[in-house]
Amino acid sequence: MIRLAFRNLFQNKIRLVISVGGVALALLLILSLDAIFTGVERRITVYVKNSSADIFVAQSGVRNLHMASSSMPAFVRSKVKAVPGVDSVSPIQYVSNMVVIGDERNLAYIIGLPEKAAMGGPWRVSAGRSRPDPGEAIIDRTVAKNSGITLGDEVEILGEEFEVVGLTEETASLVNSVAFISEDDFTDLRGDPGTISFLLVKVKDGELPASVARRIQARVRDVTVQTTGEFANQERKVVKDMSTDLITIMNLIGFLIGLAVMALTVYTATLSRRAEYGVLKALGASNRQLYRTVLAQATLSVLIGFLVGLIITLILSFIVDGLGLNMELLVSGVSLVKVAGLSLIIAGFSAILPIRQITGLDPAAVFRGK
Amino acid sequence: MTDQTLTVNQVTKRYGSGSTEVVAVRGISLAVAPGEIVLIMGPSGSGKTTLLSMLGALLKPSEGEIRLNGNAISSLDERRLPAIRLHKFGFIFQDFNLLSALSALENVAIVAELAGVKRSVARQKATALLEVLGLKDRLNFLPEQLSGGEKQRVAIARALINDPALILADEPTANLDSKIGHEIMRLMRKIAKEQGRSVVIVSHDQRIKDIADRVLWLEDGQFKEVVTMATDPVCGMTVEREKAVRLEWDGQVFYFCATGCRDEFIDRDKQDKVNDGSLR
Repeated sequence: MIRLAFRNLFQNKIRLVISVGGVALALLLILSLDAIFTGVERRITVYVKNSSADIFVAQSGVRNLHMASSSMPAFVRSKVKAVPGVDSVSPIQYVSNMVVIGDERNLAYIIGLPEKAAMGGPWRVSAGRSRPDPGEAIIDRTVAKNSGITLGDEVEILGEEFEVVGLTEETASLVNSVAFISEDDFTDLRGDPGTISFLLVKVKDGELPASVARRIQARVRDVTVQTTGEFANQERKVVKDMSTDLITIMNLIGFLIGLAVMALTVYTATLSRRAEYGVLKALGASNRQLYRTVLAQATLSVLIGFLVGLIITLILSFIVDGLGLNMELLVSGVSLVKVAGLSLIIAGFSAILPIRQITGLDPAAVFRGK
Repeated sequence: MTDQTLTVNQVTKRYGSGSTEVVAVRGISLAVAPGEIVLIMGPSGSGKTTLLSMLGALLKPSEGEIRLNGNAISSLDERRLPAIRLHKFGFIFQDFNLLSALSALENVAIVAELAGVKRSVARQKATALLEVLGLKDRLNFLPEQLSGGEKQRVAIARALINDPALILADEPTANLDSKIGHEIMRLMRKIAKEQGRSVVIVSHDQRIKDIADRVLWLEDGQFKEVVTMATDPVCGMTVEREKAVRLEWDGQVFYFCATGCRDEFIDRDKQDKVNDGSLR
């Protein structure tokens, strides 16, 4: 009967294209949205992950960068350095602000880097220098490109003009970008000398970051200590919390479109073969065998639609990568499982009406030429 | 136990009730022996289709009983009927009713698969049947690529695949030309006689009388006239018993198309007896 479902599905090519295409587009909507937000999540944590630090120390209660600010006395640095297991400590200054280029205002994490900072600086520089001196800034390449500026041009950060001396890769997302200036400029402009935003900690060889983080937390007052992984997870969580409602609504829309397309095509496909199902029923096929055929047909359509949707999403992700946009599409395993699950639900629901149709078929009608 | 394949006892079918009640079949009785071909004829609306549906366990009678190989099928629970139809009946339809998406081979094999036969075995059985029916070169053809006669052969193979005791055919020659229709009917007679399967045919086609053992005339839901057919033992022609040349010979009754065949039969029998020494 599965073979019959397969043959029924592939016999009418136009119907196949409509049903599979409709489902594929609906699932593409869900998959690509998921992929966009997964990409945003990755991009938004890319600074944390590429900071070279094992541990992030912040003001008490501060657990991430996005939409947060942290301020600690500078002496905390020496206290942290004195904790057993700590190899090195680099302070950074941080504020969420704008990189202004002409009339364009680009939301950015502004990082103030100490001279010769071992951690927290740019990790992929495509042009220019990797450390800014006073009066200099390093900004994301795509931000510079989109605004039509290059090395040697000026940008405004924290109300001051800076010369662009370096362009970085992977430091822009749909949400914002990362810009680097010197620590001296940062403290001058913020007017808050004697404070630091975060401490980036490297642990000694053989030490576990989690153990050292617990030690710092126990010995230094008024700070929140997290491993880099924990800090990145918190960052991700903030973005996820902000986007969950949107994703849920779009998923629901995608689900309903997929369901409507699938239900309609399976219904019409069954309707067009009503007589054949009647013949099978007259010959002795049980309702259960016929239900299986309809369900298999719906499942096959949805699975093919799922594969087509996935392939298109992957192609899109390559295209987006090649375009050098401030975003990337990442198809995660969780997203695949979720969309596959939704597909099966769509298949099940879309088969309900045709199954009711078959239940009502009178096998004796076959002798009446119906 | 009974030696009849099918026994129909005082079967009535009513539709509706009260002033709108219609009696499609009224008090019909019938017995069909193994290997016997019964042709049911009658005008449109006479109840032929209703009767055929009841014989095939597709419709329950309002009254009376239908037995297949001694087992009452008319009183069985609805849920058991599909399995009975699948294993005990072979159906042949006027419009062939093949599944358009499946090849000839798959159309036959799927019925065996429905009955629980493994796919490979079902395909082997279907191939063998189609080859016997002269469709060796058409196994993988879709119905739309087959002629009417070929489609009906596929339908016959489909009807036979589960070794049914009874084959029910609804106007099997209606969509076939005269030559192919006759060929199909001879094929059905061969199957009935060689394999001992009973066949009940509902048709308007007078030519089918030739292959039937019995012809029943259904009118207003009742059998009006019974025509019993017999085969001339000399020329093999099917003849109506009432109109044939009758001969009682050695305690048996024989029917002939003409006196010539009767005389030849007598001469041959006498010669046989001389040869084996029983008559000098």
